[in-house]
Amino acid sequence: MTTAASIADAETGAAEAADEAAGETQDTRVPVTVLTGFLGSGKTTLLNRILTEQHGLRIAVIENEFGEVGVDDALVLDSEEEIFEMNNGCICCTVRGDLIRILGALMRRREKFDRIVIETTGLADPAPVAQTFFMDDEISSQLRLDAIVTLVDAAHVLDHLNEVKPEGVENEAVEQIAFADKIVLNKTDLVSEDRLTEVTARIRAINTPVEVIRAQQAKVELEKILDVHAFDLDRVLEGDPAFLTETEHQHDTTVTSVGIDLPGDLDEGRLNRWLGQLLRTKGVDIFRSKGILAIAGSEQQYVFQGVHMLLEGENGRAWRDGETRRNRLVFIGRNLDRDALNADFAACLAANSPVGDRA
Amino acid sequence: MTTATTSALWTATVDDAPVAVATEADLVAIAGAAGTAWILEAATGKPVGTVTLAGGLLALEFSPGAAHLAFVGPTGYGLWRRSDGRILLSETGAWSNAVRWAAPDRFAVASGRRALVLDTDGAQQWGTDLAPSTVTDLAWLREGRRLASSAYGGVRCHERHTDKPVTEYKYLGSHLALALNPNGRWICTGNQDASIHIWRTRDGNDLTMQGYPEKIARLAFDDTGRWLASDGAPDLTVWDFSGKGPAGTSPRSLRAHETITALAWRPGGDAILASAGTEGAVAFWRADSGRPGTRVNPASVSELPEPVTALAWAGPRTLVIADYEGRVAAWPLPDGLIG
Repeated sequence: MTTAASIADAETGAAEAADEAAGETQDTRVPVTVLTGFLGSGKTTLLNRILTEQHGLRIAVIENEFGEVGVDDALVLDSEEEIFEMNNGCICCTVRGDLIRILGALMRRREKFDRIVIETTGLADPAPVAQTFFMDDEISSQLRLDAIVTLVDAAHVLDHLNEVKPEGVENEAVEQIAFADKIVLNKTDLVSEDRLTEVTARIRAINTPVEVIRAQQAKVELEKILDVHAFDLDRVLEGDPAFLTETEHQHDTTVTSVGIDLPGDLDEGRLNRWLGQLLRTKGVDIFRSKGILAIAGSEQQYVFQGVHMLLEGENGRAWRDGETRRNRLVFIGRNLDRDALNADFAACLAANSPVGDRA
Repeated sequence: MTTATTSALWTATVDDAPVAVATEADLVAIAGAAGTAWILEAATGKPVGTVTLAGGLLALEFSPGAAHLAFVGPTGYGLWRRSDGRILLSETGAWSNAVRWAAPDRFAVASGRRALVLDTDGAQQWGTDLAPSTVTDLAWLREGRRLASSAYGGVRCHERHTDKPVTEYKYLGSHLALALNPNGRWICTGNQDASIHIWRTRDGNDLTMQGYPEKIARLAFDDTGRWLASDGAPDLTVWDFSGKGPAGTSPRSLRAHETITALAWRPGGDAILASAGTEGAVAFWRADSGRPGTRVNPASVSELPEPVTALAWAGPRTLVIADYEGRVAAWPLPDGLIG
């Protein structure tokens, strides 16, 4: 497997001017989209669309198969996918050495890009790609992981999801859906509406909060997948929180989403101990986590999100007058114990103090 | 500390963002990220020639005596000959991260997961087997007979008679940069996991210097082999390798930068170090001042409008700096830095 970078030059102008007018307090780091999907899901078609559409943006694409995307005058960098353990005691902390190298060299160039798209193969684990943006300071100072977008072939995805793997071997299709912030359900013209409903239900059984965008011939409005801020803490769970209580699609699948929605204030000490312990012991199985929490004594929401054991969190906006202080969080992962997660989280509520020392 | 208003010996401009500066004898070369290197006279800054590697440049080095310049980048490597301007390009498609000359007629380049040893006609003399990852850095030991290469998993040493490593210094992790103590006693790597790993060459006994906030991508010994400087934090750290080495000691911290972009020891081994950072400062240090475990202030600092992205000493009295906008300047040693 190879990774290559191609750079599409496009007209700059209107978009740049608009960005500048919007103010200086904005995050000026370049958004990076990770595009995953199985062979045949339409990734190449979508990449070509991204590179050739008249959007006025300068976009760099790092692609995994040499020369797969044909763009005139493109710079193509050839490199093997290199997954590095971090030697820091965190067994699931892996990064992509090839991306650190390629992105590092790209950032030293004088030409600047409005967007970067990283294509990974259908067999690649999205975690090291995402973790690279948490673990490498040089990269995170200039680039921002924007979203993981997974392309799904509506006609064939169920076959991939149903494929029985040997013990201990990951079903990559399940993993790519579990990690996604956006799913482009492609080739919807090739299947019936019933089938689409079934596929969508199956996707949501794995990754309940994910946005599913239907497409034919990979025709997607680019603003729906590029620069969508899915990894920004202030956009966490920004959408309709109703998904959290959805439990109707219970399939026989080991990778699921567990949503928790509880009113009340959390005891910070107990929360930290629980979350720390959970990620240390179950981080390998927890692919993604995100939440907005109410910490006792804090006027502001606490917002976090993570990939495996890596978690970042910060104070978000202030709770509004009259707004119910509540906690919404979601875990997406393998063999999640829904009842235990609910019970253990509830035990972090200040009102549920085990020694009953709170009014 | 003095804040210097340096008047340059000469200035020049190159049309790219510099990623590396090389100096040797009477020449200077500035590597641009997009792939062109400008070769200049060290005394005047006058252009001598240019070379271009289409896929971009990452590093370059003159041969001892400056009869040749070898340059490497994401898609291959190349060689320039001074006598007639001949340029040999090898567009391998493999990532070449480092180049080191062993002698005036022989150099090594990283090429993907291998290191290749070439003569000045670009012919391969020998090469290594595949490393666990792309080779990140190279260094010569034993008067150019043994080649050390860093990659994921540690440092491997090769000699001509076999493509298998003759010695391996293993440590799990991604080793980004390699520095050999000039007397051959120590092998050091800078790591992605924000540590410096140190092996005693003789027996492979090792230690790890942890606690850096960021990855270590730059580290270098001074000419005496006593001092090792590195990035990995806003402060440069300098370890003292005198006596039994740095185990159990504390480093000196040199504070002037937000993020370090370049560092280079003054040739001659008087512990004078030059560094640059993203905030635009270029600092000169007496790295042996102060005590271990303390913070050392620069002996001289200049604030520039753009960050200097690469620097190199052109002899002991001239520092060549190149900023992000392609402005190149040769500075004399600041007044009062040496007694």
